Amino acid sequence: MDRLIIRFATCARAAGLMVSQAEVMDTLTHLALVDVTDPQAFHRVLRANFAKSRRDQPRFDHLFHLFFHEFREDAGLSKDLLAPEAARLARELAKEFPDDPAFKAALDFMAGDPLAFLEKLRALETDGDRPAMAMGGNLGQVARRLEMMLAAGKVKDGLLRRLGENPDNLPWQTRRELEEHFLSRLDAARRLISGEDRPLEAGAEARSAYEKRLGEIGERSFVSLTPKEVAEMREVIDQLVRKLKDLASLRYSRQKRGVLDVKKTLRKSGRYLGVPMELVRRNKPPKKGKIVTLCDVSGSVWSAARFMLNMLYSLQECFTRVRSYVFVAGLAEVTGIFEDNEISRAIDKVLAEAELEYGAPTDYGATFRQFSRNHMEVLNKKTTLIIIGDGRSNYLNPELRLLEEMREKCRRVIWLNPEAKGFWYSGDSEMRAFETRVNEVRPCQNLNQLTDFIQDLIL
Amino acid sequence: MEFENVEAVRQRLEEADYICSPEAATVVFLAEATGKPVLVEGPAGVGKTELAKAVAKCLGRELIRLQCYEGLDEAKALYEWEYAKQLLYTQMVKDKLSEIISGAGSLSEAVDRIANQEDAFFSERFIQPRPLLAALTSLKPVVLLIDEVDKSDPEFEAFLLEILSDFQVSIPELGTKKAVHIPFVVLTSNNYRDMSDALKRRCIHLYLDYPDRDLERRIVQLKLPGIGQRLGDQLVDSVRAIRDLDLKKKPCISETLDWARSLVVLQVEELSPAVVEETLSVLVKYRSDSGKVRENIKKVADKAGLTWTASS
Ligand SMILES: Nc1ncnc2c1ncn2[C@@H]1O[C@H](COP(=O)(O)OP(=O)(O)O)[C@@H](O)[C@H]1O
Ligand SMILES: [Mg+2]
Repeated sequence: MDRLIIRFATCARAAGLMVSQAEVMDTLTHLALVDVTDPQAFHRVLRANFAKSRRDQPRFDHLFHLFFHEFREDAGLSKDLLAPEAARLARELAKEFPDDPAFKAALDFMAGDPLAFLEKLRALETDGDRPAMAMGGNLGQVARRLEMMLAAGKVKDGLLRRLGENPDNLPWQTRRELEEHFLSRLDAARRLISGEDRPLEAGAEARSAYEKRLGEIGERSFVSLTPKEVAEMREVIDQLVRKLKDLASLRYSRQKRGVLDVKKTLRKSGRYLGVPMELVRRNKPPKKGKIVTLCDVSGSVWSAARFMLNMLYSLQECFTRVRSYVFVAGLAEVTGIFEDNEISRAIDKVLAEAELEYGAPTDYGATFRQFSRNHMEVLNKKTTLIIIGDGRSNYLNPELRLLEEMREKCRRVIWLNPEAKGFWYSGDSEMRAFETRVNEVRPCQNLNQLTDFIQDLIL
Repeated sequence: MEFENVEAVRQRLEEADYICSPEAATVVFLAEATGKPVLVEGPAGVGKTELAKAVAKCLGRELIRLQCYEGLDEAKALYEWEYAKQLLYTQMVKDKLSEIISGAGSLSEAVDRIANQEDAFFSERFIQPRPLLAALTSLKPVVLLIDEVDKSDPEFEAFLLEILSDFQVSIPELGTKKAVHIPFVVLTSNNYRDMSDALKRRCIHLYLDYPDRDLERRIVQLKLPGIGQRLGDQLVDSVRAIRDLDLKKKPCISETLDWARSLVVLQVEELSPAVVEETLSVLVKYRSDSGKVRENIKKVADKAGLTWTASS
């Protein structure tokens, strides 16, 4: 029994279920407590230990079925007597191609042990998720599928040949049953390889729907999104944000409870006649400081800026404070709009309500002048200033000195550029000059780049 | 081991007014026998909370419930200091305190001297146990229900994991408290978010889905023994047909029961499509959902075998 469960666990892991040593041990303990000859009880115990979320259950059930019914050593053979026969044929055939792992995997599969075969398939499928490397990059996958298909065919031919070689050794009924068995096995293998039957993916659908979408939309340039995709992007961002929050808070989760800071507690208690009304603990998770954003909202830059604002404000609790300004030729503070409205509404409102001259040519210099005149006090050594823009300043004075002053005032300045890198230094772009005045410049053309940035920011 | 076997669990839960599936009975049995927490997942209203209550009832144990929500922190879940009591005591020992700080050269020296007395301020006497500490320190074995754990923050989840692994907590001011008895722990989740792999690893898993026909029928019979055979069948079949529609929120068991109760009060003996439409608001809570049921009333009636001419 132990061996069987351990093998099933290996299979389950190969199929992407989270099964640790702990689960295997628990399962064995649990099996000792129930009537294992009752197939349903057996199934229930395994499922309660192997599939620990609803999403995993269909995948588990499918695998369970494959492992304990379809591919069971004796399954499909009417008499257990046939199993040794099939195994013997397989053993003999194995000697013919000793160095061919694909052949060996297919042979084991035909003879009742699906593990190696499933693992090969799994490797194939995860490879398939990688973007095609160069031209025809997908050919490799197709070729390997073909290789497995050929191996399975070779195994079948070999088995049937051996079956026919010594007709007198076996009664014809036995031979026919074995033949049927191998053919049906081959069929199963074929279905698996061609992807008609995907045990490794059953149930994975729900989990990866979001990942798939992220994959599709993550590399799409912000400028090219249709309105429908913008809405979809928001949903993807919601989930991303949730993950990032989990990450951030787990990271700060104190291993041990913060210890009571007796001195501070007593100091504070002065206000209440010496009674400690408020306990102070050490090791509060650090906040990640203040964020100030300056967003160019002219033209195409807005399409990237809105998503950045969306993410930043969704993660507000990771920062002490987020303040935002938008600009074209002049500056307007929009922090209030974000604080008073739900995020997506706030984003829609920004362009409508911020008092800006949208017709005017973008002027970074004027923006910096206005910022340093009126808002310099929002910067201090705990502030990260994020500027998002293409740096196209219509050949007007870029006021580099002011940008330098701003950098001196704060912890760091990060410049996000949503333009394709190939255009950065052309035409009226001042990127080359800006680049040397800020601490970091990052491309920000699509969701993946944006996510990387935000993740670095909060962790 | 409190239960003899899986069947015994089923029976005793039923005596505690809970009808359970074989899966649920198996998981409860294994969890009890091996002292593992149960993580119950499932949509709202399928009996996750009720299961914990029923387990407590049939084991004759106290149920200690920790309701999770966003922002729940360790203090609220574990223990709090009783400030009022501390205040009272400080007032009463005022003289003693001034004795301690008399002659202190500076404020900080005085504070340090008081700090040396912290043991007196932060002793067990002033602790107000919250559900988790109460469950650990209870002298009798209890059932600990950690309800809607998916609503808590991941940080709190990490803390829970520690407790569920060691069944002990360390209170910085008092030292380590070890569980007197390992409680029977039930965690419930609506799947608002995924629980961590580590937490899942600690638990044995149970998914409660909307019940099958037979189970729901038996629940209805249990809670409303007076309901007519035919009405009971029609009711359960109709609920099931309505659940098959693509609704924002599918009716759950408690809604089935509410509906059954209203039908009994209205003295309905047989369901007809018209009666379904008239009483729908008890069963379906969103307006858009009622609209959808009305649009599809024919389909529902067919599936549930309701006749159009039946009188109400
Ligand atoms: N298996 C059951 N047996 C008896 N009553 C049940 C059962 N499942 C659910 N109920 C009824 O449904 C109601 C809602 O269940 P509850 O446990 O609150 O749902 P959940 O916690 O899953 O949201 C309970 O009050 C109970 O009356
Ligand atoms: Mg509940």
